Amino acid sequence: MFDRRLIFHINWGLLTLTAILFLVGVMNLYSASTLRLASGLEIDTYFNKQLLWGGVGLCVMTALVLIDYRHLKSVSWAYFILCLVLLLGVSVAGKTIYGAKRWLDLGFFNLQPTELTKIAVLILGARLMARMEGKLGWINLGKALLVGLVPAVLVVKQPDLGSALNILLILGGMILFKGVTGSVFKVLVVVLPIMIPFGWFFLHDYQKQRIMTFLDPGNDPLGAGYHIIQSQIAIGSGGFWGKGFLEGTQSQLRFLPEKHTDFAFAVFGEEWGFFGSIILLILFCSFLYQIYIVTMEAKDDFGSYLAAGVFFYFFWQILINIGMVLGIMPVVGIPLPFISYGGSASVVNFCMVGLVLNVAMRRFVFKKG
Amino acid sequence: MGAFNSPERPQIFSGPPLLLVFLVILVCIFGIRLWYLQIYKSDFYQGRAQENRTRQSTMFSPRGIIRDRTGVLLAENNPAYALALVREDCPDIPKTLDQISRWTGQPRDELQKAFEIGRKRVKHFDEQVIVPNIPFELVALVEAHRQDWPGLVIAVRPKRSYAHGETLAHVLGYVARANEEELNNDPDLQLGDNVGKQGVELMLERRLRGTKGLQEFEVDASGRVLSSRIVSSPVMGEDLNLSISLPLQEVATKALGDRAGSVVAMDADTGEVLALVSLPSYDPNEFVVGISHAKWKELLEDPLHPLQNRPVQSTYPPGSIFKLAVGGLGLESGTVKPSSTVFCPGSYKLGQRVFRCWNKGGHGTTDFKKSLRESCDVYYYQLGEQLGVEAISDFATRCGFGVKTGVELPHERAGNMPTPEWKLNRFGEKWQGGETLNYAIGQGYTLTTPLQVARFMAALVNEGKILRPTLLLSEEPDVLGELPMRPATRKLVLDAMVATVEEERGTARVLRRPGLRIGGKTGTAQVVKLQEKYEKKKTHEIPYKYRDHAWMASFGEKDGKRFVVVAMVEHGGHGGSDAGPVAGAVLDVLLDVRSGD
Repeated sequence: MFDRRLIFHINWGLLTLTAILFLVGVMNLYSASTLRLASGLEIDTYFNKQLLWGGVGLCVMTALVLIDYRHLKSVSWAYFILCLVLLLGVSVAGKTIYGAKRWLDLGFFNLQPTELTKIAVLILGARLMARMEGKLGWINLGKALLVGLVPAVLVVKQPDLGSALNILLILGGMILFKGVTGSVFKVLVVVLPIMIPFGWFFLHDYQKQRIMTFLDPGNDPLGAGYHIIQSQIAIGSGGFWGKGFLEGTQSQLRFLPEKHTDFAFAVFGEEWGFFGSIILLILFCSFLYQIYIVTMEAKDDFGSYLAAGVFFYFFWQILINIGMVLGIMPVVGIPLPFISYGGSASVVNFCMVGLVLNVAMRRFVFKKG
Repeated sequence: MGAFNSPERPQIFSGPPLLLVFLVILVCIFGIRLWYLQIYKSDFYQGRAQENRTRQSTMFSPRGIIRDRTGVLLAENNPAYALALVREDCPDIPKTLDQISRWTGQPRDELQKAFEIGRKRVKHFDEQVIVPNIPFELVALVEAHRQDWPGLVIAVRPKRSYAHGETLAHVLGYVARANEEELNNDPDLQLGDNVGKQGVELMLERRLRGTKGLQEFEVDASGRVLSSRIVSSPVMGEDLNLSISLPLQEVATKALGDRAGSVVAMDADTGEVLALVSLPSYDPNEFVVGISHAKWKELLEDPLHPLQNRPVQSTYPPGSIFKLAVGGLGLESGTVKPSSTVFCPGSYKLGQRVFRCWNKGGHGTTDFKKSLRESCDVYYYQLGEQLGVEAISDFATRCGFGVKTGVELPHERAGNMPTPEWKLNRFGEKWQGGETLNYAIGQGYTLTTPLQVARFMAALVNEGKILRPTLLLSEEPDVLGELPMRPATRKLVLDAMVATVEEERGTARVLRRPGLRIGGKTGTAQVVKLQEKYEKKKTHEIPYKYRDHAWMASFGEKDGKRFVVVAMVEHGGHGGSDAGPVAGAVLDVLLDVRSGD
């Protein structure tokens, strides 16, 4: 089943960049887990766990690479429906943590079906669009959107606005990648901006509050605006060269909230400065560029759409997370791939890279029959 | 890949090129934003980060203590408690102010106002004093409810206390809370600080205050202190020893009694002021804790002006004391000789106007010594006419009349030695010949302060040195100038003053202490030109405000120590009988005269 020649076609650039980003993330987590107390430094174990999850992710990724991606087409519906069932299961029998029902307690492990759903939407979306001829008209657009909307509604009820948004944005990106017909495009350009204010009424109060706070962090400096203000102080105080590894006062003295998860980039920016932040930004862009190359070189539309979906999966997270940390986007709980701490997220990230590697290494393989 | 090659629209709206467009946008937005935060605004954010993790607290320095010349405590510091707020720790400031209002009984809007005015001046996480000087019972009450009111603290601040309040109010002055203007002008001052407002406390503020220290803490987000360091240590204010003698001050105060007036006692050789009394007085301690509006109004509206520091701020005509200077000028200029005489018939005619001597019967043949001893007006009418107003003013000014002494007291007034130009400028009128005559006996426009008279007396006694009077002990004598009199002239003047005390008909016989060399000169300063109807009346029959001021300028010597004492009783009537005993009581202490000697 596995052709040895494939090994020579592995996209080493993408693999290397993934490894570098993951290690930068672990190193940054080491600093983000450090607290300075009167008695000295105290280190939490997030970075150990992250290494462990990285290992798990690597295994899953390797497994994914071994299977020809074209086989995914045949299981795409089944996998998608399984995910919907799990999401429904969460809303019925889910485990509530911090007021959100997102987890299924499997006894040995808390499963977060949302993460699996992202992959399902991506694969099913790629499959459907690969079959559609030409650009998307109204009917095809509707079909494609349904793939995202159904799970998104279930996820938003958890409530997990960030993931729902992520699912829709992945699909939206893929739809743009596929392209829509002229008439659809014109209508969407006019209608979408008008729709945005209506979205306001579907938001929870705390979500409205976040958006209000984003627009004016100063009106509640110790409450909701605190995250935004402290994050910008951390980044800005890094200056050009940064304060140095383990020297960030905003993070070590706990002024920076959520520093090992959503605001991990602020820890990095404080300690490594403009210099380090730009390098990290370049790393991310090179990583995305490698995926872009794969969308061009993929042997078939399905592979190309898969890679494009992965591209948008990472792109939106990077845009929203760093945008939030830099104070140019509202606070939405979306982590930064490879840099933020998170078990399921790490595994999914590696899976996504695995999908792209899979597509890339089979670009020269011809369809057998 | 045919799907991407549709000719309908440019390529960038779909397919792989779309991804590149997204990438470029990402790099641009974040690149610019990172540049803005980490380079353009980096100083600002570094400041904010620093602010986050450091808290500073002021280390207060005690104000210097003031003692009298023998070491008796006059002004000291006691701990006082104040209600203060730390804004950053206080979740509900309006509610907390409500509670403070309930506890202290102070109106809510006043507290609000104090809070609003003060908040700009208080550093982050620093205590803002809201109500100073709270009683101990309230401290206990607040302390018991501390947990319910986060951010509310009891601040301990030194409070100035004057053990001999009224006796020394005009020397020490007082401290009180710094006002807006003082806070604006002096960056070292913090809200709630006390500063000198009057007297030595004001004039020597710099030396007394000391320098505050600063302590810096490194804290984490929950305010836990990780480390601390002293940025600058507080420096104590300088302790001062005054030249004032508290017992002498008390004697002088008692001697003046319930009358308004001044007493100045001075060491003639050093310029050290031994007693400086101004009555009526006030209690400076009331200002320290914040004087009530009613009490303040009462002090301001008191017709006797208790806030006026008479020895340096009140100016009076010197009356006959001025004859010492005019007589001296007469001798110096050769206009009169000690032995030359004037016949006093009881009045002197200038043109149509008749100038009366105080002794209607006349002094008869009067030489220099007799002119001072019996304070003959006619002698000085004639001498004044011969000398002229300009010469008198010039000479008197060189004697220190009409010139600020430079003592360490605020708002000192100079007085006035009139000239024809001065009158023309001031009133637009020509100087009249008769005014020179009045001037020569120390009446009219001429104005001086009791301290100026004391300095003049000291110069007569100390071989002609015009000193700067000082309230501080063991400072080098500060010689400002020289008395424009030759030793021979000074001796004649001093001898005449001794004769005024010792001899029959001397006007200052009330000062006579057998065996001691004491000299004196009385003076009666006319408040208004007495109207006919009061002229024949006794002092107590004349309305208070029309009564004359009574002067006594004196000196005494014992064991090589030379002292001058000037007493002035406002509206006291006659120098000898009213001011004389006051000066006498002070001289008794200075020259160690046992009562009954």
